[in-house]
Amino acid sequence: MSFQNIDVMTLNLPHKEFVGLGNYKGLFADPLLGTSLYNTLYYTVFSIAIQFVIGFMLALFFNKNFVLSKKVRGLILIPWMIPATITALVFKYMFSASGGIVDQILMDLHITGGPVEWLLHPVSAMWSLILTNSWIGVPFTMIMLLTGLTTIPSELYESASIDGASRWGKLRHITLPLLRPSIEAVLILGFISTFKVFDLVYVMTKGGPVDATETLSTLSYKLSFSEFNFSQGAAVANILFAILFVVSLAYLKLVKEDEVM
Amino acid sequence: MLYNIAAALICIVFLFPLYWMIITSFKTELEIFQTPISFFPKSINFNAYFEQVREDYNIFRNFLNSIIISGAAMVIAVALSIPAAYALARFRFKGRKLVILSFLITQMLPTSLTLTPLFIIFKNMGLYNTYLAPAIADATIAIPFSVLILRTYFVTIPRELDEAAKVDGCNVFTAFVRIMIPISISGVVVSIIFSTLFAWADLMYAFTFINKQNMWPVTSGVFNFMQRYGTQWNNVMAFGVVSVLPIILLFTFLQKYIISGLTNGAIKG
Repeated sequence: MSFQNIDVMTLNLPHKEFVGLGNYKGLFADPLLGTSLYNTLYYTVFSIAIQFVIGFMLALFFNKNFVLSKKVRGLILIPWMIPATITALVFKYMFSASGGIVDQILMDLHITGGPVEWLLHPVSAMWSLILTNSWIGVPFTMIMLLTGLTTIPSELYESASIDGASRWGKLRHITLPLLRPSIEAVLILGFISTFKVFDLVYVMTKGGPVDATETLSTLSYKLSFSEFNFSQGAAVANILFAILFVVSLAYLKLVKEDEVM
Repeated sequence: MLYNIAAALICIVFLFPLYWMIITSFKTELEIFQTPISFFPKSINFNAYFEQVREDYNIFRNFLNSIIISGAAMVIAVALSIPAAYALARFRFKGRKLVILSFLITQMLPTSLTLTPLFIIFKNMGLYNTYLAPAIADATIAIPFSVLILRTYFVTIPRELDEAAKVDGCNVFTAFVRIMIPISISGVVVSIIFSTLFAWADLMYAFTFINKQNMWPVTSGVFNFMQRYGTQWNNVMAFGVVSVLPIILLFTFLQKYIISGLTNGAIKG
């Protein structure tokens, strides 16, 4: 499809005009593609970094045995289950300048002087999205790493203690190496699901302000269903897929090394 | 003790947005825009909930749509993926690895990639503006996931069971229905839950393949609300509470299955 010329006028014709790489040429000439790609990468990299660090710390924390551990672990997973549309709406409301709770808290702490339109400034809009995404992603990261942690035999830690290993030493030489498969899985799956983000961005900012949060998938949707340029939309989606495909291949290679299919 | 307190604090931070959603849904329009913002509503107000059920707009309509769509998606996905997973786990045939690989890759397809082709296909098949269109589309997400999950369950069943069944007079099909499915029932439950959840959370497919407002599912129904009445946050939040409720219920009762599905499916799939 991305090699044909399809829009509203030609959608129902039996034979579509073949335009070769025309759609891609048109796209690459448009600076918006570069912006979207950059935005998507920026969004993904920071989201994953935040999710991973917080998720990892939480996993280590909940791996300890205490009364509330299991209960809270379950409760925290709820954000992951909520449809992204609803999450996006709640956060949109919390970040809004009139009646938004984020502003209120920051003003009470005297960090900001007055209401800020978080979703209307390019940088803060992007960071609002990243924070929202992390709220969904942290529980996922945590549960995945937690199951990884439970497979590490506790004897290893005991013998390490006898050998006089410090906490940090245990983390570095036992936990991290043994957790490697889980870590890789979490990072790559996180990358894939974050990279193709749509609902969050569509609901919270629609790619605005001034394309500051336009990502590849919202751009593709906009081209296809707002401008009805189906073939260019498909071309963007293909670029998105090509990137994901490379990443998934890398992931499959890792999985194959770890276990026989 | 210290751990418990810390855990409670973490829990509060994570669930705050949910609390905020619930609280806001009980506020009046006036209270929402007051400063300073109140952390507890001054009086519990159910107006926002009554707004969900009115003459020109009824959330139950959307609910029904969501149930129809995700139910259909679930049936399609589970019915197709059980035999597929069984075949992939039990029989060795040419191209088996390739099939598994292709399932893994389709799991990674971005929705926006499949959106336009599906749109054109559905339009040509006359499925545009029917419940079947988003249901089939949602099933395409759920199928690879379910196949991979179920396969891991079927693989663990020892082959001796097949032989025992044969001795007792089962053929391949009856052995499959009477023995394999009941044994891996928890896998089946996981795939049912996740197929339903995927479809329930979907916005993009329903939004694109259906343009009649009275056929939209819960997730897109909220737009109906926002466009028509401006953004009245208490109503929107009430809407959120109502639509999230079934998920939270599902979660509390089936937590075990969900966590196992999540970790199995993700690490091995």
